[in-house]
Amino acid sequence: MVRYVLLLLTVAFLYVPVAESSECLLCHSAMQGKMEGRKGVVEVHVDAKRVVDSVHGVLGCTDCHFSYGSGPHSAAAAVPVEVAKLAKKVAVKGTSDPVALSACVQCHPAEYEALTGSVHGENVLRKKQADGPLCLDCHGSPHYIVPETDAESEVNHANVVHTCGKCHGDERLAEKYGLDGHVVEMYESSFHGKKFLLGHTKVPVCSDCHGAHGITRWDAPDSTVIGEGKVKTCGKCHTGATPKFAAAPAHAHVGKDNPIPYYSAKGLTALVIGTFLFIFMHVLLDMYAEVRDRLSRKKKGGH
Amino acid sequence: MKKEIPQEIERFSTIFRIQHVILFTTFLLLAFSGWALKYPALEHSRFWVKIWGGAEMAGLIHRVAGVTMLLDFIWHVLYMFYLAAAGRMTFHPVTTVIPMPHDLTDFIKNFMYYMGLAKSPPPFRRFSYLQKFDYWAVFWGMAIIGSSGFILAFPVFSSGIFPNFTLGWIWQLLRVLHSDEALLAVVFILFIHFYSEHLKPGKFPMSWVWLSGKISIEEMKHHHTIEYDYTFGETEDDE
Repeated sequence: MVRYVLLLLTVAFLYVPVAESSECLLCHSAMQGKMEGRKGVVEVHVDAKRVVDSVHGVLGCTDCHFSYGSGPHSAAAAVPVEVAKLAKKVAVKGTSDPVALSACVQCHPAEYEALTGSVHGENVLRKKQADGPLCLDCHGSPHYIVPETDAESEVNHANVVHTCGKCHGDERLAEKYGLDGHVVEMYESSFHGKKFLLGHTKVPVCSDCHGAHGITRWDAPDSTVIGEGKVKTCGKCHTGATPKFAAAPAHAHVGKDNPIPYYSAKGLTALVIGTFLFIFMHVLLDMYAEVRDRLSRKKKGGH
Repeated sequence: MKKEIPQEIERFSTIFRIQHVILFTTFLLLAFSGWALKYPALEHSRFWVKIWGGAEMAGLIHRVAGVTMLLDFIWHVLYMFYLAAAGRMTFHPVTTVIPMPHDLTDFIKNFMYYMGLAKSPPPFRRFSYLQKFDYWAVFWGMAIIGSSGFILAFPVFSSGIFPNFTLGWIWQLLRVLHSDEALLAVVFILFIHFYSEHLKPGKFPMSWVWLSGKISIEEMKHHHTIEYDYTFGETEDDE
């Protein structure tokens, strides 16, 4: 194994960018697979090229990984108090490096602030549940975060629904928290969702109405998707939206519990099929009669 | 009284022909630009949308074509009223497009012919029962698809007209109405109209009446026998 690593190191050295992090990446860009770490199994490979191309490419590894030195044998720097405090709280997420997971707060204090008060953040930070999403659960690995406008970004307009759906389509979580686990399908059958599926770039996705970092329960008093909040939310795209307009369900379930659209759809399907059968039969009979007449005329002409 | 029988006769005036051209152009645009939205999860839907330059452009084309079609329809209806008011169009059972009791008997007689129980189809008037059906189907389509489409295209403006108790389901209902009836319209046009006016033996590649507005006297005598008799009296063999 060691020999293998050393061999790869030589190769890796040729393309690893010369930066403060190059020493870490010397090994970590060459290492493959998972290893037993201090807190469980961790992915040891870091794609140096993607790190440099990411929005965090200018950072050094130890700017977030405070508990590590810049080499296997050098001592670690002190962990900032704020980060250390948060690291204790996020340890519940079971991550291998809670300090690094908490490091985001240094540069993104406003987002952290919003997340703390959100239904997501509260679940982790206050209720000590591993389920609630923190930064990386939505934004992906911090090593490879690209701008939101990049199609690769997990929070890109085209990927938000999938990102939210990772938890909101999960049966275990739906049961545990009383969520509707079919909300993604409901969205995708809504008018907004259908356009989204066709690649519409301006149609609202989850976060456009529900918010992101500061997201609340849908029925919270300051919710963006009920009451006055919803009118304002709709008004972001639908200029002049009124309470009456905002009363429209954005992604309602169409089933027997919503009988009028449900049975209307059934009736319309019957009407479509009925009309279709009628006209199909009409056309077929017309063709049949046409052919029959031609044949009999030919017969008459022949004799 | 003996009448001069021409080689061909005008069936649709220029204004009707223009209305029809606008109708089928917008119909095709609407069908093609809206189709993908019915089954957006299917792979071919993305292809249909790409043809129009993406979902936004398809939506814009759909709205412009929809409003144009509605205006065309309104123009047609107003023009019909105008013709009636000006005395340029008078009601007669032989020439009217309004469904009459004889349409039901024609329908039955035609089916007897199809089944081989009658030697020939019944003699038709200016509009056969199927042509009347074809014509009024547009009115049905406008009432259902046109109105729901207009409401869906201008939702903020339209939301004011709905009473409060409908707000929980009216939008879904409108969407279902719009898309299901559009499917019905497409299937209907594809089978009845394309078959009758394009594919039917003797018509292929198409009946040219949409362009010239005229049909030959032979065709009139054959397919609109009663109208022919009504127009030219019983003197069909004099020329």
